[in-house]
Order: sequence, then structure tokens, then C-alpha cells
Amino acid sequence: METPVRVLHSLGIVLLLGSACGFAQHPDWTGYYTLATGRELAGTGFKQDSPGEQLNNLIIPRLQPWAKARMEATDGIADDTGQVCLPDGIFRYPSMAGRFLWLQERDRIIMAFQSINTAGVRRIFLNSSHPKDPIPSWNGHSVGRWERDTLLVDTIGFNDKSWLFGGMEPHTEEAHLIERMRGVGNGAFLEINITVEDRHALTSAYTYNRYYKRQPATAEMAEDVCNEDPETWKQYRDAALKKEVQRSHEVK
Amino acid sequence: MRVFVLAILFAPLIMAQPDIEGVYQSISDKITLPGGLKNAGSPASIELRLGTTRASSKDPWKMCQPVGPFRMMAAERTKIELAPVETMIVMLFEDLSHGMMRPIYLKRGHPAKLEPTWLGDSVGRWEAETLVVDTIGFNDQTWLNDAGAQHSDALRLVERIRPVLGGQYLEYKVTAEDPKALAKPYTYTRYYKKLDSEIMDDVCQDGE
Repeated sequence: METPVRVLHSLGIVLLLGSACGFAQHPDWTGYYTLATGRELAGTGFKQDSPGEQLNNLIIPRLQPWAKARMEATDGIADDTGQVCLPDGIFRYPSMAGRFLWLQERDRIIMAFQSINTAGVRRIFLNSSHPKDPIPSWNGHSVGRWERDTLLVDTIGFNDKSWLFGGMEPHTEEAHLIERMRGVGNGAFLEINITVEDRHALTSAYTYNRYYKRQPATAEMAEDVCNEDPETWKQYRDAALKKEVQRSHEVK
Repeated sequence: MRVFVLAILFAPLIMAQPDIEGVYQSISDKITLPGGLKNAGSPASIELRLGTTRASSKDPWKMCQPVGPFRMMAAERTKIELAPVETMIVMLFEDLSHGMMRPIYLKRGHPAKLEPTWLGDSVGRWEAETLVVDTIGFNDQTWLNDAGAQHSDALRLVERIRPVLGGQYLEYKVTAEDPKALAKPYTYTRYYKKLDSEIMDDVCQDGE
């Protein structure tokens, strides 16, 4: 009778130790994050690369001629899908004003952005691969794998409707986003090293860092409804639709 | 010592809440599940104290605005994802414009002072295998049904969510109380099927 109990006892200790050491192996970054300010990063040795609108200076010189021409012909208000509360893709909000919930699940990580109507929700599927022909979407298809304490995220399958940033820089469905994510500053920040490639729109890839501050456990992400004022929304939406119809006539 | 080790080992199993993580979709009213489980009630039958409804041209659904959980969860083919973490369970809707994202907080009560919002403030607790969600703090912009039934800022929703049929389905039961707007509390039940598929982009285009 003693032997099975001893085995169970030993197994229990092993399991407890394993659990304490983290069989999960990977850090859990679940929480609420906001784009780190200069003041929050002061003294940490980290800083945002090309912060704010300066990111345009990193992207615009790399645009291929057709992409630059498209950018110059774009109307910053009428052509901005975000103005009519439609999604505006993954490249803008997270780099400019990112506030998000990081929800770490068994086989996926969910990034739910505060600006949910425009930035939406990203799902990073762990230990998975991209489908052969992903349906083009605003936020693309993301897969992730852990390399020690760094999460490597690869995203493809974008539609070509969003901009690379606020300068209205276009991209194609070939856009490829490569991110290296890790916790830094003893877990106070999430560092995301971002590389964007698009062989049809860019002459070369560009890379930059963004830091997000982990908020205290008591902090909550507030509800953010884009379309609070339906009358204004309708005006913008009607103007955008009119322009779209006009363009389709031009193409014909 | 042995009892202690065994207790620690099995504690997570004894105390574990049901695993409700995943993607689910509401089933048709025509379907009857094993055990006679089927959708019951409809927000269309709700009785208003004042009998007031809003004009259909002001329908939040047509304006790509949030329609509120009571109306959203009753709709056929509503697709949700439940993402539980330690402090909350987040309910994400595929139709983000109309459903948005609902954090259900597990480790706090309602704040004493609440700023009214479209989705209200949701707190949840487990009663055995049932997640009981209490939501207050709504603004008065959403409707209770497609016919424009108004509610007030006194609306309270109590939702009871539990896995059934071996976790293949979720049973969703909700009661709406609003002493200012409703003649009496109203309850409906929906069943949500667990899916293997993922949630896709679903963009609201002129209310569709």
C-alpha cells in the first residue's frame, strides 16, 4: 500500500515544483496596455522610435513611385475609412495611440484595441501556420511562436484598403508584418519591434520599436464607441460612398 | 503530509470553473437539442410600461451603432468569442460594430458611481457551473427589440451562462429588469453552439 502512495507523493512534489517553475514556460502578459509616453520611459533606456507623426518620415522615402503617387492623390478625410468608423487597419492606431487588452489564452493571444470600431481585434494563433490562401482582411492573419521569452509574430493576408500610417501611405495585399514582442523593464513595458515589408509598395523594409506601458491591475479600458453621433456619421458616410461610386464610374 | 500534498494536487480540479473559452454561435429557434433544449422567448414579446417605441429610422442597428447585449444575444447567428483571463471574461462579437466587446469583471462589484455607457458595467461570479453576470449602468440609446422598445438608464440585465451537452453548447438565459420602462421583468433563453472556426472581419456597411 505504501508504494503507490509514495509514488503519488513524489509525483505530487514533481508536479508542484514544475508548476512553481512554470511548466507554462512562457511569460503571461495579460493586462491592459497604453502607448508609453516619453515621461513613462524616462530613465529606462528605452524610447519610441520615430514617435508620433515622425513615423511617416521612415515610410514615405521607401514608397515606390506608384505608391507615392497614390498617397499624393489620397484625400486625408474623405478617403480615411476611420472617419466613417470603418476599420483602418493594424498599422495606424497601435503605433500612434495604442490602448489595448492583451488576453493570453491557451492557443491564441487576443489584442482587443480600445478603438474597437477602427482598430478592431487581433488574434495571434500560437504554434499554428498561415492558411494557404488567407482571405484578405484589415488586420491580416497572425501566427506566433515563442523563442525563449520573446514572442515572434508573423502577419500576412492583409487587404489593401488601409494605410501604413497617417501620411496615407498605401500598401498592397503583399504587406508582411514581422513583430518581436517581449516584456522589458521588469514587466512594466511590452516592447514590440516592428518590421514592415511589401515588395510591391516599398523599396525596402522599415523597422521601428513601440513600447506599451502595462497599467495597474485596477485600471480598466474604457468603452469607446466611434459612432456616437449618427448624423455626423451619415454625412461622412454619404460623402465617402459618393466618392466610391464616382471612382467606380472612372474605372469603367 | 500526504493528505496535504494530494489536496494541493487536486485543488485545481475541485475548484476549477468550467472551461468556456472559445467561439460560439446562436442557433435557430427551429432547432431542438437533445434533452428538449431549445430557444425560448423573444425580446419581441417584451411588455413596456409606457408602450413607447422609437422610430425605425433611429434604429442603432441601421446606424452601425452598438445595439446592446439584450438585443444582440437574441439575434440568430450571433457569433461570440469568450476569452477568460484571471480577472475577467471578455465577450467579443464577430459583428464588432453592433456587439462590440464586453469585459465581465470577476473580481470587483459595480463601482458606486457609474458613467452610463452603451454596454453598461458587467460583473460576474461563478455559481457552480453557471456564470452569473449582472449588468447595470446603461445609457438609454439602445433598444430592447427590433420594434424600437425603449429602456431607461435603470435597465439591469442578469445573465446566466453555462455549458451544456458536454460543453458543445452554451445555455444563455437573460432577464431584463427596468422598473421605469418595463411592465415586468422579461426573460429569454438562447443556445449557442461551440464552433471550431475562427471569428472573421465583419464590417458594418450601412446597417447590414
